Amino acid sequence: MSTNQSTITTATESARNSVATAYSKSRSILEGERLAQFGVIVLAVFIFAGLFAPFIVPHDPGKINHGEDGDVLRLAEPTAEHPFGTTHLGRDVMSQVMMGAQVSLIVGLTAAAIATVVGTSVALVAGYYGGKIDNILMRLVDIAYGLPFLPFVIALVFIFGSSLYNIILVISLLMWRSSARVIRSEVLTQKERPYVQSARAAGASDFRIMFRHILPNVLPLVVLYLTFGVAWAVIYEASIAFLGFGDPDMYSWGTILYEAYINGAIRYAWWWVIPPGVSIMLFVMSVFFIGRSLEKVTNPDLRHN
Amino acid sequence: MRKFIVRRVAYLILTYWAFITILFLIFRVTPGDPTTLYIPEGMSQAERQATLERYGLTDPLYVQYVDYLRMLLSGDLGTSYRYNAPVWDVLTTKFWNTIFLMAGAMTIAYTFGIAFGAYIGWLRGTAKEKYGMVLALIARSSPEFWIGIVLLSIFVFQLGWFPWGGIREIGAEAPASFFDRYVNWGFVYHLVLPVLTGAIYYMAQPILLMRSSMISVLNTDYIEIKKAEGLSNYTILYKHAARNSILPMVTVVALVAGLSVGGSLVIETVFSWPGMGREMVESVHHNDYPMAQGAFFLMGSVVIFMNFIADIAYAFLDPRVRYE
Amino acid sequence: MLEISDLEVRYDTEHGEVHAVNGLSVDLAENETLGLVGESGCGKTTTAKSLIRLLESNCTIAGGSVELDGRDLTDLSLKELKREVRWSEISMIPQNAMNGFDPVYTVGEQIVEVVQAHESDTSKGEARERARELFEKLGIDGDRIDDYPHQFSGGMAQRAMVALALALDPKVILADEPTTALDVVIQDRLLDVIQDLQDEMDVAMLLITHDMSVVSERCDNIAVMYGGRIVEYADAETIIKSPRHPYTLGLRNSFPDITEDSQDLISIPGAPPTLVDPDEMCQFAPRCPFAEEECWEVAPEPVEYGDGHRVECHRADEVEYLRSEAEKHETWTELESTETDDELTETEVKND
Repeated sequence: MSTNQSTITTATESARNSVATAYSKSRSILEGERLAQFGVIVLAVFIFAGLFAPFIVPHDPGKINHGEDGDVLRLAEPTAEHPFGTTHLGRDVMSQVMMGAQVSLIVGLTAAAIATVVGTSVALVAGYYGGKIDNILMRLVDIAYGLPFLPFVIALVFIFGSSLYNIILVISLLMWRSSARVIRSEVLTQKERPYVQSARAAGASDFRIMFRHILPNVLPLVVLYLTFGVAWAVIYEASIAFLGFGDPDMYSWGTILYEAYINGAIRYAWWWVIPPGVSIMLFVMSVFFIGRSLEKVTNPDLRHN
Repeated sequence: MRKFIVRRVAYLILTYWAFITILFLIFRVTPGDPTTLYIPEGMSQAERQATLERYGLTDPLYVQYVDYLRMLLSGDLGTSYRYNAPVWDVLTTKFWNTIFLMAGAMTIAYTFGIAFGAYIGWLRGTAKEKYGMVLALIARSSPEFWIGIVLLSIFVFQLGWFPWGGIREIGAEAPASFFDRYVNWGFVYHLVLPVLTGAIYYMAQPILLMRSSMISVLNTDYIEIKKAEGLSNYTILYKHAARNSILPMVTVVALVAGLSVGGSLVIETVFSWPGMGREMVESVHHNDYPMAQGAFFLMGSVVIFMNFIADIAYAFLDPRVRYE
Repeated sequence: MLEISDLEVRYDTEHGEVHAVNGLSVDLAENETLGLVGESGCGKTTTAKSLIRLLESNCTIAGGSVELDGRDLTDLSLKELKREVRWSEISMIPQNAMNGFDPVYTVGEQIVEVVQAHESDTSKGEARERARELFEKLGIDGDRIDDYPHQFSGGMAQRAMVALALALDPKVILADEPTTALDVVIQDRLLDVIQDLQDEMDVAMLLITHDMSVVSERCDNIAVMYGGRIVEYADAETIIKSPRHPYTLGLRNSFPDITEDSQDLISIPGAPPTLVDPDEMCQFAPRCPFAEEECWEVAPEPVEYGDGHRVECHRADEVEYLRSEAEKHETWTELESTETDDELTETEVKND
């Protein structure tokens, strides 16, 4: 019995160690990567903007601005007062874009977190129990894969209403499928490892084995999917908003582009189009750059040279 | 192999049934009074009752479900409110418009993406590989509508090389025959920018995937043995490394081809392309539920069918799956 | 037939130049089986791969020569090497045969491929016939050439790999730990089959392994490798029964079944040198219980002790003393106390 216990401690310790080494590896790899550093810096700027936007925006994003002559400042080119110019209604573009960072952060982080938690749990249960349970859960994943993403999201958002809350829920409702599939196959290989067998021999409960022993060992992959999930969720939210189904009370980058697009601003008001577009691109790019470096931690093959 | 296919077909039927049921639930079991979705505004109470009865919306849910299944099986997608015509008739043309658009985009994306990805995988560790990666990541970070907007402002509003949207000259009549509609320069001319938008967006994935797949394969023992066998670089790269790296791609091509049908919503909206995706967006905006449901049904069918193709193709290419 | 002289192979890494093979000389006669033994990281595999220049891009042959029947392989262009040497003269068997075959082609297709790549006038049918014959010689049903690698068991795949290695009737086979992935019985049977075929087809084999018991039974001669050099070379019996190098003595201690008298396993404390820009000294000195001042300052020259028995050790003459001391457990464990903390923990783990 005492031997068993000591094996268990070693197993958990090795699991903990693997998290620790993965962490230190991520750090050392990130340090060597200029792209990832770029990503971290850009993301820090967006996070700052997202957190403090309501307090630091130069103008109320919904306020109709007037020029010195008292007329509404429609489609004004960038000035010191309005660095990104104004919209057709005389609203300050820069303030809207800064508020947009908030929406992207909320949607990206929450949707990715929900999807990854659901996906990982499904993966652990399916991979660990195998057999019928695995089969049923994997058919569920197949079914989720059978739903065309944007059309499904739009139909639901329209029926339940275009609130930020609904958008997040609906995105996560489909996004869990990819992490479930990939993490499951990793769980399948972990399940055969001796530490799982010794934990089982020592009488650890299934729940404990799954979440205390296997989970730490698949954590690097989970983090990777969480990261990519943030990027995808931001792209999806922007696409939904661009199609006109965004939360009407929020300034999302997609919503700003939607308004610019339907008002024909691409033709004559570049300042209304470029800032939100470039923001989406930079935000998602930063997340990908960071994710790509994390990928090297989980896939040693990519670390060659 | 036969057992494998039989099982996959069973899964296909199961998935399809689940999809159809979800579709039914989305459009019928909505919070509040679901019937309002089916009733255009401004109808009198009598008209309303007549419409409800015509669509069988007064029946109990399970009767509606059975009717619904019967309708779908007989290829009847209902009648569009907006066009006042059978949904199927309106969607046929739009279906093909979307398929041509996305097939064009996917073909370019995967041909170039796989070749380019294999190339930078082979060059791993070099500066060229790094720049290739950054380009791919930038493309992957740009949503389709943003790529579309950038292409529009450069090639249409700055250079004036291409039309701003649509599928043929404004005011031109749609030719009646399938062949005349798609085999002409005007169609290709309108197709260029939307296809390019899709191609750029979807190219990133095959590049990244092919590259990492290539790198894993190049690290295997058998590639070393093939080198020791004195085979030429060309044989090793194409017959062995690329062939093995492409295996995971096959599944992805089919999966993404399916997914891209959903992506067509955005591209078609940017370029006013009269396809299924744009129709879906418009009909949702206009409360044309039979139409939205029909478009959703068609898109889902394409996705599920492509997923099925992905499974089967993978089994054909990888003997390990075949004999499992 | 194969003469390796003063071979130098170096890796260019960010930490400096790694002298993976550092002036290595050894000969291989026709039909001979030479065992190359040493711990992992001593340069065994690099030596073997450098013969056919199967090296990473940051790795180069910095000096020495590899002569096969009088032709220096290091002088050949890569193209000549591919066409005239790789597989047709020198072939190899990897550690795990299952991974040595491309999974998407049948084993037969892969044998036909290499035959046709080197013999343009051999038809596909003839090549298949050859594959079939080889399979049967190795005790596999000839029809199985149409099977995919994953359809073979581990031992079977290893035999199929031997068939592939023999397909062009080479002069030398490089076998890198060919049996470590297999269980003992299958290991033995496979080595029997290889030995029979070796005699029949007149092939020499360079058997790379860390397992002293395998080489003791199967090899004509044994070369013990340490720090990129051959520190002791002799016929198998001499190496097992009367070695002179402290490293060989230590290595022998860690395999109990070779000599009857020593009962318990004693492992050599410490780890092999990294060989990054190595100093002029005996590379084994840091782990050697018998190291003297000279060992830290001068690299020992090879000394002959009759019958081709070659040893690189300053104290090889005191062989009786070395042997009697090396058998004692304390000789090796005492060294641990002088090690740094880091290495201490490592040896503790090993001894447990």
